[in-house]
Amino acid sequence: MKTTIITDKDYQTELFQKLQERLVAFFKDKNFEIEAINVGRDDLAYCMGCFGCWVKKPGECVIDDLMTKINRDYMNSDIVIYLSPIIFGQFSANIKNAIDRSLPNTSLPFFITRPDGSTIHPPRYDKYPQPIIIGYGEQLDTEDRQLFIDITEKHRKNIPALIYQNDDQALIDALNTIALGKVGEHQ
Amino acid sequence: MKNVVLINASPKISGPSLSNYLVTLLANQFDLASICLSVINIRQSITKRLTLDDFTKLKEADAVVIVFPLYFYCTPGILMRFLEDYQRFIMEQGSLSNQTKVYTIINCGFPEPERNREAVRVIASFCKHVKAHFRFGVLIGGGGMLLETKNAGFMKKTIQALHNSFLTIANDIQNNEFETIENIDISVKFPKILFRFIGGLNWISLARKNGLKKKDLYRQPYR
Repeated sequence: MKTTIITDKDYQTELFQKLQERLVAFFKDKNFEIEAINVGRDDLAYCMGCFGCWVKKPGECVIDDLMTKINRDYMNSDIVIYLSPIIFGQFSANIKNAIDRSLPNTSLPFFITRPDGSTIHPPRYDKYPQPIIIGYGEQLDTEDRQLFIDITEKHRKNIPALIYQNDDQALIDALNTIALGKVGEHQ
Repeated sequence: MKNVVLINASPKISGPSLSNYLVTLLANQFDLASICLSVINIRQSITKRLTLDDFTKLKEADAVVIVFPLYFYCTPGILMRFLEDYQRFIMEQGSLSNQTKVYTIINCGFPEPERNREAVRVIASFCKHVKAHFRFGVLIGGGGMLLETKNAGFMKKTIQALHNSFLTIANDIQNNEFETIENIDISVKFPKILFRFIGGLNWISLARKNGLKKKDLYRQPYR
């Protein structure tokens, strides 16, 4: 079993270091192989909205940089964790770049209807690693905390969004509620 | 004379861009005799290293409108880079104004405009952190279709709604009040079932232009 942890090179604060250590210990204890991928400002080009990953090279980003490895590792993992500083209630630019450019993995171009009547793109694969979103920050107000959770949990299913502010036990308790293995689609 | 900055935050390098169309449409709402208008394209700003000049423009603006497409239910990474760096710039300058009015216009490919709601909250949060005054957002559903069919008869009501919402922004910029204005939802008046069907055909047609067959769209390279 493999866990890939995607982190932001520009926000490696003490809080982040502690969070990462706790996560590594948690997954090592469960005999997971762990790979950490650090993403910095100059490591990834920005998504250019070309939809080449849908209609030119389906399933692959047309830009060849670190994202090629991240997208391959993503699909070959059992768990993928995004560790993001919470900026304006959202992912940081570096982490958001990695998420934007995961589109070749996550979706097909077509539209389907969800049970609530809303529209969504169908998944490309039948099985995915369990994604886990963890936001961190020293001083976060209530709205930024709630917004960070809403961005993921209001729109995508099977993806837990957690917030870490130095409470190790809350983190471990939350991780223990998540099934640690591949899951179905998470659109 | 009010100083207004429109930000085109489309990540696209080339080709048609709805954000660009919306910025142009909005720019036409202003009376240029009484407004000093600038447009910032953030991809150009970042790649051509113009951000310092652009940040200064933003800092001095009376009003800013941020126009972007929804990416994974929030702002694209390239816009986050611009906003994060602007926050750093403004903190280094140490002079914040809470009088700058900020608006956002967000479009998503899904027909439901409410999918943009959290992205509006991100812009509101950004305003809170740089001490600007967030006003309201225009949330557009069915964005991908809008650009290609803007002149079709069935789009008349949608285009009119866009004009009205942009006029609301222009008027709000001109006055010095801070009365509450709710977010404005705009959707394409078109049956969802047809929207999804035609959308699918469009993707297949684009793939064929690249020499691919329909089944190629389903490739799973990392399986």
